[in-house]
Amino acid sequence: MNHATEAPGVPASAVTFDSPDLPRWLESATDDDLDGLPFGLIALNPDASVAWYNKAEARLSGLTPGRMLGRQFFTSVAPCTNNFMVAHRFETEPDLDAIIDYVFTVRLAPLKVRLRLLKRQGSARWYLAVTPRGE
Amino acid sequence: MLTASRMQADEPSAYELLLEFLNLTPVGLIQFRPDGTIDLANAAAARMLLPLSDDADLSNLYFVLRNIAPDLPRSIESFHAPMGQICDQMQLAMPGSETVLTLCVNKIGPDTLMAVVQDITLAIAQEARIRNDQQRFRAIFEYIRDYAICTVTADGCVEDWNRSLSRIGGWEPADVAGRTIALFFPDATPAMPATGTALLERARQHGTAEFEGWTLRKDGSLFWGNTVATALPDREGDANGYVLVTRDLTERKQHEDRLVALATTDPLTGASNRRAGELCLSDALTAWERHGTCFALLLLDCDHFKRINDRWGHDVGDKVLVALVRICRENLREVDAIIRWGGEEFLLCLRGAGQDVALSIAERLREAIARAPIEHGRGSLEVTVSIGVTLVGAADRNIDDIVRRADQALYRAKDAGRNRVELDRLPCPAATGHP
Repeated sequence: MNHATEAPGVPASAVTFDSPDLPRWLESATDDDLDGLPFGLIALNPDASVAWYNKAEARLSGLTPGRMLGRQFFTSVAPCTNNFMVAHRFETEPDLDAIIDYVFTVRLAPLKVRLRLLKRQGSARWYLAVTPRGE
Repeated sequence: MLTASRMQADEPSAYELLLEFLNLTPVGLIQFRPDGTIDLANAAAARMLLPLSDDADLSNLYFVLRNIAPDLPRSIESFHAPMGQICDQMQLAMPGSETVLTLCVNKIGPDTLMAVVQDITLAIAQEARIRNDQQRFRAIFEYIRDYAICTVTADGCVEDWNRSLSRIGGWEPADVAGRTIALFFPDATPAMPATGTALLERARQHGTAEFEGWTLRKDGSLFWGNTVATALPDREGDANGYVLVTRDLTERKQHEDRLVALATTDPLTGASNRRAGELCLSDALTAWERHGTCFALLLLDCDHFKRINDRWGHDVGDKVLVALVRICRENLREVDAIIRWGGEEFLLCLRGAGQDVALSIAERLREAIARAPIEHGRGSLEVTVSIGVTLVGAADRNIDDIVRRADQALYRAKDAGRNRVELDRLPCPAATGHP
Protein backbone atom coordinates (compact mmCIF):
# COMPACT_ATOMS: atom_id res chain seq x y z
CA MET A 1 0.00 0.00 0.00
CA ASN A 2 2.82 2.38 0.70
CA HIS A 3 4.50 1.64 -2.61
CA ALA A 4 2.94 3.96 -5.10
CA THR A 5 4.18 1.96 -8.06
CA GLU A 6 2.36 -1.10 -6.83
CA ALA A 7 -0.89 0.76 -6.30
CA PRO A 8 -2.61 -0.33 -9.52
CA GLY A 9 -2.07 -3.93 -8.56
CA VAL A 10 -3.83 -3.58 -5.22
CA PRO A 11 -7.31 -5.11 -5.32
CA ALA A 12 -10.12 -2.67 -4.64
CA SER A 13 -11.21 -4.54 -1.55
CA ALA A 14 -7.82 -3.85 0.02
CA VAL A 15 -7.81 -0.10 -0.62
CA THR A 16 -8.59 1.93 2.47
CA PHE A 17 -10.43 5.22 2.81
CA ASP A 18 -7.47 7.17 4.15
CA SER A 19 -4.70 5.50 2.21
CA PRO A 20 -2.19 8.02 0.89
CA ASP A 21 -2.11 5.97 -2.32
CA LEU A 22 -5.82 6.32 -2.96
CA PRO A 23 -5.42 9.22 -5.45
CA ARG A 24 -2.87 7.30 -7.48
CA TRP A 25 -4.92 4.08 -7.30
CA LEU A 26 -7.97 5.95 -8.57
CA GLU A 27 -6.07 7.20 -11.60
CA SER A 28 -5.77 3.76 -13.09
CA ALA A 29 -8.93 2.22 -11.60
CA THR A 30 -11.79 1.15 -13.84
CA ASP A 31 -15.40 1.79 -12.90
CA ASP A 32 -15.64 -1.90 -11.94
CA ASP A 33 -12.67 -1.39 -9.63
CA LEU A 34 -14.54 1.50 -8.00
CA ASP A 35 -17.50 -0.77 -7.36
CA GLY A 36 -15.25 -3.11 -5.45
CA LEU A 37 -14.15 -0.47 -2.94
CA PRO A 38 -15.23 -1.12 0.67
CA PHE A 39 -16.30 2.54 1.12
CA GLY A 40 -18.55 4.93 -0.76
CA LEU A 41 -17.05 6.70 -3.74
CA ILE A 42 -18.53 9.14 -6.17
CA ALA A 43 -16.57 10.18 -9.26
CA LEU A 44 -17.47 13.58 -10.66
CA ASN A 45 -16.79 15.13 -14.00
CA PRO A 46 -15.24 18.62 -13.78
CA ASP A 47 -18.72 20.11 -14.31
CA ALA A 48 -19.78 18.40 -11.06
CA SER A 49 -21.99 15.86 -12.80
CA VAL A 50 -21.85 12.28 -11.54
CA ALA A 51 -19.48 10.08 -13.60
CA TRP A 52 -19.69 7.03 -11.32
CA TYR A 53 -21.61 6.21 -8.15
CA ASN A 54 -20.17 3.09 -6.61
CA LYS A 55 -22.03 0.21 -5.02
CA ALA A 56 -20.92 0.92 -1.46
CA GLU A 57 -22.27 4.47 -1.74
CA ALA A 58 -25.50 3.13 -3.20
CA ARG A 59 -25.90 0.77 -0.25
CA LEU A 60 -25.30 3.65 2.14
CA SER A 61 -27.69 6.10 0.51
CA GLY A 62 -30.42 3.83 -0.82
CA LEU A 63 -30.10 5.40 -4.27
CA THR A 64 -29.75 3.46 -7.53
CA PRO A 65 -26.35 4.23 -9.12
CA GLY A 66 -27.58 4.20 -12.72
CA ARG A 67 -30.12 6.91 -11.96
CA MET A 68 -27.47 9.16 -10.48
CA LEU A 69 -25.17 9.16 -13.54
CA GLY A 70 -25.00 12.52 -15.26
CA ARG A 71 -26.84 14.38 -12.49
CA GLN A 72 -25.36 17.47 -10.90
CA PHE A 73 -24.01 16.06 -7.68
CA PHE A 74 -24.12 19.12 -5.41
CA THR A 75 -27.63 20.17 -6.36
CA SER A 76 -29.45 17.07 -7.59
CA VAL A 77 -27.91 14.15 -5.72
CA ALA A 78 -26.49 15.32 -2.40
CA PRO A 79 -27.63 18.89 -1.77
CA CYS A 80 -26.36 18.58 1.80
CA THR A 81 -22.87 19.10 0.32
CA ASN A 82 -23.80 22.25 -1.57
CA ASN A 83 -22.06 24.68 0.77
CA PHE A 84 -18.64 26.18 1.36
CA MET A 85 -17.46 23.08 3.19
CA VAL A 86 -17.67 20.74 0.20
CA ALA A 87 -18.97 22.10 -3.12
CA HIS A 88 -17.17 25.40 -2.80
CA ARG A 89 -13.85 23.68 -2.13
CA PHE A 90 -14.18 21.49 -5.21
CA GLU A 91 -15.08 24.49 -7.30
CA THR A 92 -12.32 26.80 -6.09
CA GLU A 93 -9.31 24.75 -5.01
CA PRO A 94 -7.05 23.53 -7.84
CA ASP A 95 -5.62 20.61 -5.86
CA LEU A 96 -7.51 18.95 -3.09
CA ASP A 97 -6.90 15.98 -0.81
CA ALA A 98 -8.72 16.66 2.42
CA ILE A 99 -10.58 14.55 4.93
CA ILE A 100 -13.39 16.30 6.81
CA ASP A 101 -16.04 15.24 9.28
CA TYR A 102 -19.49 15.65 7.91
CA VAL A 103 -23.09 14.55 8.31
CA PHE A 104 -25.05 12.90 5.55
CA THR A 105 -28.78 12.56 5.79
CA VAL A 106 -28.88 9.12 4.24
CA ARG A 107 -32.30 7.56 4.53
CA LEU A 108 -33.25 10.84 6.25
CA ALA A 109 -31.36 10.00 9.41
CA PRO A 110 -28.33 12.14 10.15
CA LEU A 111 -25.33 9.90 9.71
CA LYS A 112 -21.89 11.00 10.81
CA VAL A 113 -19.44 10.40 8.02
CA ARG A 114 -15.93 11.27 6.99
CA LEU A 115 -15.52 12.70 3.55
CA ARG A 116 -12.37 12.66 1.50
CA LEU A 117 -12.27 15.35 -1.15
CA LEU A 118 -9.92 14.50 -4.00
CA LYS A 119 -9.10 16.65 -6.97
CA ARG A 120 -5.99 17.01 -9.05
CA GLN A 121 -5.31 19.79 -11.43
CA GLY A 122 -5.78 18.60 -14.99
CA SER A 123 -7.39 15.35 -13.92
CA ALA A 124 -10.55 14.32 -15.75
CA ARG A 125 -12.37 13.36 -12.54
CA TRP A 126 -12.94 14.60 -9.04
CA TYR A 127 -13.61 12.05 -6.29
CA LEU A 128 -15.64 12.17 -3.13
CA ALA A 129 -15.03 9.22 -0.80
CA VAL A 130 -17.51 8.56 2.00
CA THR A 131 -17.18 6.40 5.07
CA PRO A 132 -19.27 6.27 8.25
CA ARG A 133 -17.55 7.70 11.28
CA GLY A 134 -17.51 5.70 14.51
CA GLU A 135 -18.16 7.48 17.79
CA MET B 1 -30.76 -2.61 2.62
CA LEU B 2 -31.56 -2.98 -1.01
CA THR B 3 -30.59 -6.12 -2.83
CA ALA B 4 -28.39 -6.04 -5.88
CA SER B 5 -31.25 -6.99 -8.16
CA ARG B 6 -33.40 -4.18 -6.78
CA MET B 7 -30.56 -1.73 -7.26
CA GLN B 8 -30.15 -2.63 -10.88
CA ALA B 9 -33.84 -2.50 -11.67
CA ASP B 10 -34.76 0.30 -14.03
CA GLU B 11 -37.73 1.40 -11.99
CA PRO B 12 -36.70 3.15 -8.80
CA SER B 13 -38.59 2.07 -5.71
CA ALA B 14 -41.18 4.38 -4.16
CA TYR B 15 -38.87 4.51 -1.16
CA GLU B 16 -35.97 5.77 -3.23
CA LEU B 17 -38.17 8.36 -4.91
CA LEU B 18 -39.40 9.56 -1.53
CA LEU B 19 -35.85 9.83 -0.23
CA GLU B 20 -34.89 11.83 -3.28
CA PHE B 21 -37.94 14.00 -3.00
CA LEU B 22 -37.23 14.90 0.62
CA ASN B 23 -33.50 15.32 0.08
CA LEU B 24 -33.89 17.57 -2.93
CA THR B 25 -36.45 19.82 -1.24
CA PRO B 26 -34.79 23.21 -0.85
CA VAL B 27 -36.35 23.62 2.59
CA GLY B 28 -34.70 22.03 5.62
CA LEU B 29 -36.94 19.51 7.39
CA ILE B 30 -36.08 18.12 10.80
CA GLN B 31 -38.01 15.81 13.08
CA PHE B 32 -36.74 15.88 16.65
CA ARG B 33 -37.64 15.02 20.22
CA PRO B 34 -38.35 17.37 23.12
CA ASP B 35 -34.75 16.85 24.32
CA GLY B 36 -33.44 18.05 20.97
CA THR B 37 -32.42 14.67 19.55
CA ILE B 38 -32.72 14.71 15.79
CA ASP B 39 -34.45 11.62 14.40
CA LEU B 40 -34.88 12.64 10.80
CA ALA B 41 -33.39 15.39 8.69
CA ASN B 42 -33.18 16.02 5.01
CA ALA B 43 -30.21 17.20 2.99
CA ALA B 44 -31.18 20.87 3.00
CA ALA B 45 -31.24 20.84 6.80
CA ALA B 46 -27.75 19.36 6.88
CA ARG B 47 -26.48 21.83 4.32
CA MET B 48 -27.77 24.81 6.33
CA LEU B 49 -26.98 23.62 9.85
CA LEU B 50 -23.63 21.88 9.40
CA PRO B 51 -21.67 25.14 9.19
CA LEU B 52 -22.91 25.79 12.77
CA SER B 53 -21.40 22.61 14.10
CA ASP B 54 -17.70 22.64 14.95
CA ASP B 55 -17.51 18.86 15.12
CA ALA B 56 -19.87 17.93 12.28
CA ASP B 57 -22.51 16.61 14.58
CA LEU B 58 -26.19 16.99 13.89
CA SER B 59 -27.46 14.64 16.54
CA ASN B 60 -29.02 17.33 18.73
CA LEU B 61 -30.83 20.40 17.39
CA TYR B 62 -30.52 22.42 20.60
CA PHE B 63 -26.79 21.83 20.64
CA VAL B 64 -26.43 22.86 16.99
CA LEU B 65 -28.44 26.03 17.57
CA ARG B 66 -27.12 26.79 21.05
CA ASN B 67 -25.36 29.98 19.97
CA ILE B 68 -27.99 31.47 17.71
CA ALA B 69 -31.22 30.26 19.28
CA PRO B 70 -30.35 29.71 22.96
CA ASP B 71 -33.95 30.12 24.10
CA LEU B 72 -35.36 27.41 21.87
CA PRO B 73 -35.27 24.59 24.48
CA ARG B 74 -37.04 26.81 27.03
CA SER B 75 -39.83 27.87 24.68
CA ILE B 76 -40.39 24.25 23.68
CA GLU B 77 -40.39 23.12 27.28
CA SER B 78 -42.87 25.78 28.28
CA PHE B 79 -45.20 24.89 25.43
CA HIS B 80 -47.76 22.70 27.14
CA ALA B 81 -50.43 22.25 24.48
CA PRO B 82 -50.44 18.72 22.97
CA MET B 83 -49.67 20.19 19.57
CA GLY B 84 -49.34 23.52 17.78
CA GLN B 85 -46.90 26.11 16.53
CA ILE B 86 -44.10 27.00 18.89
CA CYS B 87 -42.28 29.49 16.73
CA ASP B 88 -42.79 30.87 13.26
CA GLN B 89 -40.24 32.58 11.05
CA MET B 90 -37.72 33.01 13.83
CA GLN B 91 -34.73 34.65 12.16
CA LEU B 92 -31.33 33.16 12.85
CA ALA B 93 -28.26 35.11 11.78
CA MET B 94 -25.39 32.76 11.05
CA PRO B 95 -22.25 33.97 12.83
CA GLY B 96 -19.41 35.07 10.63
CA SER B 97 -21.45 35.18 7.44
CA GLU B 98 -24.26 37.03 5.71
CA THR B 99 -26.47 33.99 5.89
CA VAL B 100 -29.85 34.36 7.55
CA LEU B 101 -32.06 31.36 8.28
CA THR B 102 -35.64 31.23 9.44
CA LEU B 103 -36.82 28.55 11.81
CA CYS B 104 -40.37 27.29 12.33
CA VAL B 105 -41.07 24.72 15.01
CA ASN B 106 -44.31 22.77 15.33
CA LYS B 107 -45.21 20.32 18.04
CA ILE B 108 -47.00 17.41 16.43
CA GLY B 109 -47.18 15.01 19.38
CA PRO B 110 -46.00 14.58 22.96
CA ASP B 111 -42.58 13.35 21.85
CA THR B 112 -42.33 14.71 18.34
CA LEU B 113 -41.51 18.11 16.96
CA MET B 114 -40.99 19.27 13.39
CA ALA B 115 -38.66 22.08 12.40
CA VAL B 116 -38.56 23.82 9.06
CA VAL B 117 -35.41 25.76 8.22
CA GLN B 118 -35.15 28.11 5.31
CA ASP B 119 -32.28 30.13 3.93
CA ILE B 120 -33.63 33.64 3.35
CA THR B 121 -30.26 35.33 2.75
CA LEU B 122 -31.07 36.15 -0.86
CA ALA B 123 -34.59 37.32 -0.02
CA ILE B 124 -33.22 39.60 2.71
CA ALA B 125 -30.56 41.03 0.42
CA GLN B 126 -33.19 41.51 -2.27
CA GLU B 127 -35.49 43.23 0.21
CA ALA B 128 -32.68 45.50 1.37
CA ARG B 129 -31.90 46.37 -2.23
CA ILE B 130 -35.51 47.16 -2.97
CA ARG B 131 -35.85 49.23 0.20
CA ASN B 132 -32.71 51.10 -0.74
CA ASP B 133 -33.93 51.74 -4.25
CA GLN B 134 -37.27 52.90 -2.94
CA GLN B 135 -35.67 55.32 -0.51
CA ARG B 136 -33.39 56.66 -3.19
CA PHE B 137 -36.26 56.99 -5.62
CA ARG B 138 -38.40 58.74 -2.98
CA ALA B 139 -35.60 61.18 -2.29
CA ILE B 140 -35.27 62.01 -5.95
CA PHE B 141 -38.99 61.99 -6.51
CA GLU B 142 -39.87 64.29 -3.64
CA TYR B 143 -36.99 66.68 -3.37
CA ILE B 144 -35.66 67.29 -6.82
CA ARG B 145 -36.63 70.85 -7.51
CA ASP B 146 -36.47 71.48 -11.19
CA TYR B 147 -38.04 68.32 -12.46
CA ALA B 148 -41.72 67.52 -12.24
CA ILE B 149 -42.07 63.75 -12.04
CA CYS B 150 -45.23 61.80 -12.31
CA THR B 151 -46.02 58.15 -12.81
CA VAL B 152 -48.68 57.34 -15.33
CA THR B 153 -50.77 54.21 -15.87
CA ALA B 154 -50.66 52.21 -19.11
CA ASP B 155 -53.69 54.14 -20.40
CA GLY B 156 -52.12 57.52 -19.69
CA CYS B 157 -53.71 58.52 -16.38
CA VAL B 158 -51.69 60.26 -13.69
CA GLU B 159 -51.03 58.00 -10.71
CA ASP B 160 -48.46 59.71 -8.52
CA TRP B 161 -46.53 62.96 -8.69
CA ASN B 162 -43.94 64.99 -6.83
CA ARG B 163 -44.00 68.49 -5.39
CA SER B 164 -42.28 70.01 -8.39
CA LEU B 165 -45.39 69.36 -10.42
CA SER B 166 -46.99 72.05 -8.34
CA ARG B 167 -43.90 74.28 -8.43
CA ILE B 168 -43.46 74.08 -12.19
CA GLY B 169 -47.00 73.69 -13.41
CA GLY B 170 -49.11 74.97 -10.53
CA TRP B 171 -50.94 71.65 -10.49
CA GLU B 172 -52.20 70.34 -7.18
CA PRO B 173 -52.80 66.64 -6.45
CA ALA B 174 -56.57 67.00 -6.77
CA ASP B 175 -56.19 68.55 -10.24
CA VAL B 176 -54.27 65.65 -11.75
CA ALA B 177 -55.07 62.43 -9.86
CA GLY B 178 -56.58 59.95 -12.29
CA ARG B 179 -56.78 62.49 -15.13
CA THR B 180 -55.09 61.83 -18.45
CA ILE B 181 -51.80 63.53 -19.25
CA ALA B 182 -53.47 65.32 -22.17
CA LEU B 183 -54.10 67.87 -19.43
CA PHE B 184 -50.49 69.02 -19.67
CA PHE B 185 -50.43 69.75 -23.38
CA PRO B 186 -52.24 72.59 -25.12
CA ASP B 187 -53.16 70.72 -28.30
CA ALA B 188 -55.54 68.10 -26.94
CA THR B 189 -58.60 67.88 -29.11
CA PRO B 190 -60.86 64.88 -29.51
CA ALA B 191 -60.00 64.55 -33.20
CA MET B 192 -56.23 64.92 -33.12
CA PRO B 193 -53.81 62.44 -31.57
CA ALA B 194 -52.68 64.67 -28.78
CA THR B 195 -49.04 65.24 -27.88
CA GLY B 196 -49.41 63.22 -24.68
CA THR B 197 -50.90 60.18 -26.40
CA ALA B 198 -48.29 60.28 -29.14
CA LEU B 199 -45.51 60.63 -26.57
CA LEU B 200 -46.62 57.57 -24.61
CA GLU B 201 -47.06 55.59 -27.81
CA ARG B 202 -43.47 56.37 -28.84
CA ALA B 203 -42.25 55.49 -25.35
CA ARG B 204 -44.13 52.19 -25.52
CA GLN B 205 -42.41 51.33 -28.80
CA HIS B 206 -38.89 52.57 -28.08
CA GLY B 207 -38.58 52.54 -24.28
CA THR B 208 -38.27 56.29 -23.98
CA ALA B 209 -39.52 59.30 -25.89
CA GLU B 210 -39.06 63.01 -25.57
CA PHE B 211 -41.20 66.03 -26.28
CA GLU B 212 -40.02 69.61 -26.26
CA GLY B 213 -42.56 72.34 -26.70
CA TRP B 214 -45.22 74.43 -25.12
CA THR B 215 -46.65 72.84 -22.04
CA LEU B 216 -49.66 73.91 -19.99
CA ARG B 217 -49.76 75.25 -16.47
CA LYS B 218 -52.90 74.90 -14.44
CA ASP B 219 -53.76 78.59 -14.97
CA GLY B 220 -53.72 78.04 -18.74
CA SER B 221 -50.40 79.82 -19.27
CA LEU B 222 -47.71 78.06 -21.24
CA PHE B 223 -44.11 77.22 -20.49
CA TRP B 224 -41.49 75.76 -22.78
CA GLY B 225 -41.08 72.27 -21.38
CA ASN B 226 -38.96 69.22 -22.04
CA THR B 227 -40.80 66.03 -21.13
CA VAL B 228 -39.17 62.60 -21.18
CA ALA B 229 -41.46 59.59 -20.97
CA THR B 230 -39.98 56.25 -19.94
CA ALA B 231 -41.97 53.05 -20.25
CA LEU B 232 -42.06 50.74 -17.24
CA PRO B 233 -42.06 47.25 -18.75
CA ASP B 234 -43.80 44.30 -17.14
CA ARG B 235 -42.39 40.77 -17.25
CA GLU B 236 -43.38 40.32 -20.88
CA GLY B 237 -41.76 43.63 -21.81
CA ASP B 238 -45.04 45.44 -22.44
CA ALA B 239 -45.41 48.89 -20.94
CA ASN B 240 -47.61 48.70 -17.87
CA GLY B 241 -46.99 52.30 -16.94
CA TYR B 242 -44.75 55.28 -17.59
CA VAL B 243 -42.68 57.82 -15.74
CA LEU B 244 -42.89 61.37 -17.03
CA VAL B 245 -40.16 63.85 -16.17
CA THR B 246 -40.74 67.45 -17.15
CA ARG B 247 -38.32 70.38 -16.98
CA ASP B 248 -39.19 74.01 -17.49
CA LEU B 249 -36.87 75.23 -20.24
CA THR B 250 -38.58 78.57 -20.80
CA GLU B 251 -35.48 80.54 -19.82
CA ARG B 252 -33.28 78.51 -22.12
CA LYS B 253 -35.84 78.87 -24.89
CA GLN B 254 -35.96 82.65 -24.40
CA HIS B 255 -32.18 82.78 -24.45
CA GLU B 256 -32.07 80.75 -27.65
CA ASP B 257 -34.77 82.92 -29.18
CA ARG B 258 -32.71 86.00 -28.32
CA LEU B 259 -29.65 84.48 -29.97
CA VAL B 260 -31.66 83.55 -33.05
CA ALA B 261 -33.08 87.08 -33.18
CA LEU B 262 -29.58 88.56 -32.91
CA ALA B 263 -28.39 86.41 -35.79
CA THR B 264 -31.36 87.05 -38.04
CA THR B 265 -32.43 90.61 -37.32
CA ASP B 266 -31.30 93.96 -38.62
CA PRO B 267 -30.25 95.72 -35.42
CA LEU B 268 -31.47 99.17 -36.49
CA THR B 269 -34.98 98.44 -37.64
CA GLY B 270 -35.79 95.05 -36.21
CA ALA B 271 -36.61 93.74 -39.69
CA SER B 272 -35.10 90.42 -40.78
CA ASN B 273 -31.58 90.81 -42.09
CA ARG B 274 -30.78 89.88 -45.65
CA ARG B 275 -29.39 86.46 -44.80
CA ALA B 276 -32.48 85.44 -42.81
CA GLY B 277 -34.61 87.00 -45.54
CA GLU B 278 -33.07 84.84 -48.22
CA LEU B 279 -33.84 81.72 -46.19
CA CYS B 280 -37.39 82.91 -45.74
CA LEU B 281 -37.77 83.48 -49.49
CA SER B 282 -36.41 80.09 -50.38
CA ASP B 283 -38.85 78.51 -47.89
CA ALA B 284 -41.66 80.37 -49.63
CA LEU B 285 -40.46 79.14 -53.03
CA THR B 286 -40.29 75.54 -51.75
CA ALA B 287 -43.85 75.80 -50.43
CA TRP B 288 -44.92 77.11 -53.82
CA GLU B 289 -43.20 74.27 -55.67
CA ARG B 290 -44.46 71.55 -53.32
CA HIS B 291 -47.89 72.73 -52.34
CA GLY B 292 -48.74 75.53 -54.74
CA THR B 293 -48.87 78.13 -51.97
CA CYS B 294 -48.37 81.34 -53.91
CA PHE B 295 -46.69 84.43 -52.52
CA ALA B 296 -46.10 88.03 -53.49
CA LEU B 297 -42.95 90.09 -53.11
CA LEU B 298 -43.15 93.81 -52.50
CA LEU B 299 -39.91 95.73 -52.91
CA LEU B 300 -40.33 99.00 -51.03
CA ASP B 301 -37.88 101.88 -51.37
CA CYS B 302 -37.87 105.20 -49.57
CA ASP B 303 -38.17 108.07 -52.05
CA HIS B 304 -35.34 110.64 -52.04
CA PHE B 305 -33.64 108.98 -49.11
CA LYS B 306 -30.26 110.42 -50.05
CA ARG B 307 -31.73 113.92 -49.84
CA ILE B 308 -33.12 113.21 -46.36
CA ASN B 309 -29.73 112.00 -45.22
CA ASP B 310 -27.91 114.96 -46.76
CA ARG B 311 -30.27 117.53 -45.38
CA TRP B 312 -31.13 116.12 -41.93
CA GLY B 313 -28.24 113.84 -41.19
CA HIS B 314 -27.92 110.11 -40.86
CA ASP B 315 -29.67 109.93 -37.47
CA VAL B 316 -32.86 111.27 -39.05
CA GLY B 317 -32.36 108.90 -41.96
CA ASP B 318 -32.16 106.05 -39.43
CA LYS B 319 -35.37 107.25 -37.74
CA VAL B 320 -37.12 107.19 -41.11
CA LEU B 321 -36.08 103.58 -41.71
CA VAL B 322 -37.25 102.53 -38.25
CA ALA B 323 -40.59 104.28 -38.84
CA LEU B 324 -41.05 102.57 -42.22
CA VAL B 325 -40.60 99.13 -40.64
CA ARG B 326 -42.98 100.05 -37.83
CA ILE B 327 -45.69 101.12 -40.27
CA CYS B 328 -45.17 97.97 -42.36
CA ARG B 329 -45.51 95.85 -39.26
CA GLU B 330 -48.72 97.63 -38.29
CA ASN B 331 -50.21 96.92 -41.68
CA LEU B 332 -49.05 93.38 -42.25
CA ARG B 333 -49.81 90.01 -40.71
CA GLU B 334 -47.49 88.32 -38.25
CA VAL B 335 -46.51 85.74 -40.87
CA ASP B 336 -45.48 88.28 -43.49
CA ALA B 337 -41.73 88.77 -43.60
CA ILE B 338 -40.18 92.22 -43.54
CA ILE B 339 -36.60 92.05 -44.79
CA ARG B 340 -34.05 94.85 -44.91
CA TRP B 341 -32.81 94.05 -48.40
CA GLY B 342 -30.49 96.99 -48.98
CA GLY B 343 -29.75 100.42 -47.51
CA GLU B 344 -33.23 101.96 -47.70
CA GLU B 345 -34.83 99.06 -49.53
CA PHE B 346 -37.19 96.59 -47.86
CA LEU B 347 -38.51 93.35 -49.28
CA LEU B 348 -41.88 92.18 -48.01
CA CYS B 349 -42.90 88.59 -48.56
CA LEU B 350 -46.64 87.99 -48.36
CA ARG B 351 -47.40 84.28 -48.14
CA GLY B 352 -50.60 83.15 -49.84
CA ALA B 353 -51.25 86.54 -51.37
CA GLY B 354 -52.54 86.74 -54.96
CA GLN B 355 -52.35 89.74 -57.21
CA ASP B 356 -55.36 91.66 -55.82
CA VAL B 357 -54.37 91.17 -52.21
CA ALA B 358 -50.75 92.08 -52.92
CA LEU B 359 -51.69 95.26 -54.76
CA SER B 360 -54.16 96.40 -52.16
CA ILE B 361 -51.69 95.80 -49.34
CA ALA B 362 -49.00 97.68 -51.25
CA GLU B 363 -51.39 100.56 -51.81
CA ARG B 364 -52.41 100.56 -48.14
CA LEU B 365 -48.76 100.72 -47.10
CA ARG B 366 -47.93 103.51 -49.53
CA GLU B 367 -50.83 105.56 -48.21
CA ALA B 368 -50.12 104.87 -44.55
CA ILE B 369 -46.52 105.99 -45.00
CA ALA B 370 -47.45 109.10 -46.97
CA ARG B 371 -50.05 110.05 -44.36
CA ALA B 372 -47.80 109.67 -41.33
CA PRO B 373 -45.21 112.43 -40.90
CA ILE B 374 -42.12 111.16 -39.15
CA GLU B 375 -41.14 113.03 -35.99
CA HIS B 376 -37.42 113.52 -35.58
CA GLY B 377 -36.89 116.04 -32.81
CA ARG B 378 -36.16 118.98 -35.11
CA GLY B 379 -39.61 118.85 -36.67
CA SER B 380 -41.46 116.35 -38.72
CA LEU B 381 -40.82 114.94 -42.11
CA GLU B 382 -43.13 113.69 -44.80
CA VAL B 383 -41.80 110.59 -46.46
CA THR B 384 -43.10 108.63 -49.40
CA VAL B 385 -42.20 105.21 -50.76
CA SER B 386 -42.30 103.52 -54.14
CA ILE B 387 -43.25 99.87 -54.28
CA GLY B 388 -42.65 97.23 -56.93
CA VAL B 389 -44.92 94.22 -56.73
CA THR B 390 -44.48 90.80 -58.26
CA LEU B 391 -45.96 87.35 -57.81
CA VAL B 392 -44.33 83.98 -57.96
CA GLY B 393 -44.96 82.30 -61.30
CA ALA B 394 -44.98 78.80 -62.77
CA ALA B 395 -41.60 79.31 -64.46
CA ASP B 396 -39.83 80.57 -61.35
CA ARG B 397 -36.94 78.35 -60.28
CA ASN B 398 -34.96 80.74 -58.13
CA ILE B 399 -35.45 83.69 -55.87
CA ASP B 400 -33.16 86.03 -57.81
CA ASP B 401 -35.49 86.06 -60.82
CA ILE B 402 -38.48 86.97 -58.70
CA VAL B 403 -36.62 89.69 -56.83
CA ARG B 404 -35.35 91.03 -60.15
CA ARG B 405 -38.94 91.40 -61.40
CA ALA B 406 -39.90 93.26 -58.23
CA ASP B 407 -36.89 95.48 -58.78
CA GLN B 408 -37.96 96.26 -62.35
CA ALA B 409 -41.46 97.12 -61.15
CA LEU B 410 -39.93 99.37 -58.49
CA TYR B 411 -37.90 101.24 -61.12
CA ARG B 412 -41.02 101.80 -63.14
CA ALA B 413 -42.69 103.23 -60.04
CA LYS B 414 -39.73 105.57 -59.56
CA ASP B 415 -39.74 106.53 -63.24
CA ALA B 416 -43.43 107.24 -63.12
CA GLY B 417 -42.89 109.88 -60.43
CA ARG B 418 -42.45 108.00 -57.13
CA ASN B 419 -44.99 107.53 -54.29
CA ARG B 420 -46.50 104.80 -56.47
CA VAL B 421 -47.18 101.11 -56.60
CA GLU B 422 -46.31 99.28 -59.82
CA LEU B 423 -47.03 95.67 -60.67
CA ASP B 424 -44.55 93.62 -62.60
CA ARG B 425 -45.92 93.14 -66.15
CA LEU B 426 -46.50 89.39 -65.96
CA PRO B 427 -49.92 88.45 -64.64
CA CYS B 428 -50.03 86.11 -61.63
CA PRO B 429 -50.10 82.55 -62.94
CA ALA B 430 -51.49 81.22 -59.70
CA ALA B 431 -54.95 81.06 -61.17
CA THR B 432 -53.79 78.64 -63.85
CA GLY B 433 -52.10 76.32 -61.39
CA HIS B 434 -48.67 75.85 -59.95
CA PRO B 435 -45.65 74.15 -61.59
